[in-house]
Amino acid sequence: MSSPSFGSSSRLVGTLARFLTLAFFSVLVLYPLLLIVSTAVKDPLDVTPNPFALFSSVNLMNFVDAWTLGGFGGYFWNTLIITAFTLLGTIALSVLAGYALARLYFPGRNLIFMIFLTGLMFPFFAVMIPLFYELRDTGLLGTKLGVILVLIAGASGYGLPIGVFLMRSFYMDLPEELADAARVDGASEFEVFWRIMLPLSGPGVAVLSVLVFFQTWNVFIVPLLYLPGSENRVLATGLYLFSSGRTQEYELTAAGSLIMVLPVVLFFLAFQRLFVRGLTAGAIK
Amino acid sequence: MSRAGTPTRTPGDTRGAPKPRRKRGLFRRSASVPALRRQQAYYGALFVVPGLLIYTAFMVFPFLATIYLSFTNWDGVSPERDWIGLANYARIFGDATALKAFANNVVWVVLGTIAPVVLGLFEALLVWTGGQRGSLLFRTLFFLPFVLPLVVVGIVWQWIYHPLFGILNSALDGVGLDGVSRGWLADPHTALYAVLIAAIWGATGFCFLILHAALQNVDMSTVEAAMIDGANWFQRAWNVIIPQIAPQLTMVTAVTLIGGFAVFDIVFVMTGGGPGNASEMLATYTYKTAFQQNQAGYGSALAMLITILSLVSAVVFVRLRER
Repeated sequence: MSSPSFGSSSRLVGTLARFLTLAFFSVLVLYPLLLIVSTAVKDPLDVTPNPFALFSSVNLMNFVDAWTLGGFGGYFWNTLIITAFTLLGTIALSVLAGYALARLYFPGRNLIFMIFLTGLMFPFFAVMIPLFYELRDTGLLGTKLGVILVLIAGASGYGLPIGVFLMRSFYMDLPEELADAARVDGASEFEVFWRIMLPLSGPGVAVLSVLVFFQTWNVFIVPLLYLPGSENRVLATGLYLFSSGRTQEYELTAAGSLIMVLPVVLFFLAFQRLFVRGLTAGAIK
Repeated sequence: MSRAGTPTRTPGDTRGAPKPRRKRGLFRRSASVPALRRQQAYYGALFVVPGLLIYTAFMVFPFLATIYLSFTNWDGVSPERDWIGLANYARIFGDATALKAFANNVVWVVLGTIAPVVLGLFEALLVWTGGQRGSLLFRTLFFLPFVLPLVVVGIVWQWIYHPLFGILNSALDGVGLDGVSRGWLADPHTALYAVLIAAIWGATGFCFLILHAALQNVDMSTVEAAMIDGANWFQRAWNVIIPQIAPQLTMVTAVTLIGGFAVFDIVFVMTGGGPGNASEMLATYTYKTAFQQNQAGYGSALAMLITILSLVSAVVFVRLRER
């Protein structure tokens, strides 16, 4: 009945409560994830009677079948190409524009920054309809290039507007002295950019890359609208079309899901800190 | 350090940049101020133009076109396009599906913002152990749902809700509640909430990540002081910890809330807005109107509605924050 034992038993209860609550949440979070994996490796013959029983059988051929017969291999490459070029384009143009808006003085630069900033404020639906007709009339509908340009421009919310915003902030935080010293040494503005500022851009570019890669890989409505045919189809829309209305072959849907999910998960595990910084910065807009 | 060359005097111009430089003899080829300005203007424009072009062509122009189209009756196909003023907007108020979609969006914005933020905060507090970062395992686990694309989230939760084989109904049957089992996505009363729960499952991960990172900056001494004062877990959380992460809490709430008016992916994948219009959202309805019913004008008006709602809620939030 002395204080110490009273204190320690309530601490024990506290720890136990915390542990149980953590376990409860973990199960809630974990179950759907396990369901995907379990269904993806399930033997097709087992899927009909027990589609969602966890890990009742193992068959790794599902991934091969999904990749080839399911078409997910093609979707994967399309997604990779589109994401890669969107990433390159967004980074390159954001670095250039961000640097110019941060460090170069030219008329109208504040106005131009404002124009880019408004792109952050509008949802995709504000541009969705005319973009379709614009792409159609320029022959870009259904092409990878069309989608890449649209994504770079910021339709998914993670293109030039956020890129310019982030890179401009980044360059504004870099010390002026380096550039000034170079100028004094006779460097032209281009050399200042190319030799001094660009090599320092690593951290800003890294954060932006993670953000753009993650969101571009997963984007759904943009390819849904602007890549309507089966040519150039990406994983997000391919997966949706594959699973929609299908009441069998869950194992292939699950395998396809994992094909889509794995790159991003691996990316996240490798670059967790950048992810946090990127998402925080993206949310601050 | 002046040289034998011709050191020029620093020009007296102090307004704005670029900063004037003293020219030293050996560095004669460095630019004078006007030349520097010219260079900067040249490169400034050069660097900005490509991005600006793409952005203008694929974002600015279409946005202006949406505004314009919302005042027309264009169907997307025929060459006729007549100005009809505010008729599309007026039509929204009489359109039962649009009103239902709006109501659904409101429900979504309220529940779909409160739940992930509260749950994310709760998870973050659970995983956070004092000044350290907490277990890597739990950090990864609780964030994972957000990393999944919504298509995948929609698919797996469809399996959970499966009337015959899904775990929800199996569990209910198992505890004797078979009367409650149903086709959760096929029942108009539950469809919206079923999709919402799946979305909350995913969105909580985002809130957790941001708030967990925010907790790293909490001053532990204040927490310890509260503990010594006898505060229990909830009191410590409410009075000491939460005020210190208020900015991130606000930010996470704002982002989630503003996005709620434009929700599309998960609803589209799980129910397509159905059954009937039980889970219709402004976004899915806009999509259907514009691209399945060939009503580009009316669809544009709906799209403008979504835009206005998002903007207004953003502005309101910013104002509230500054309070």
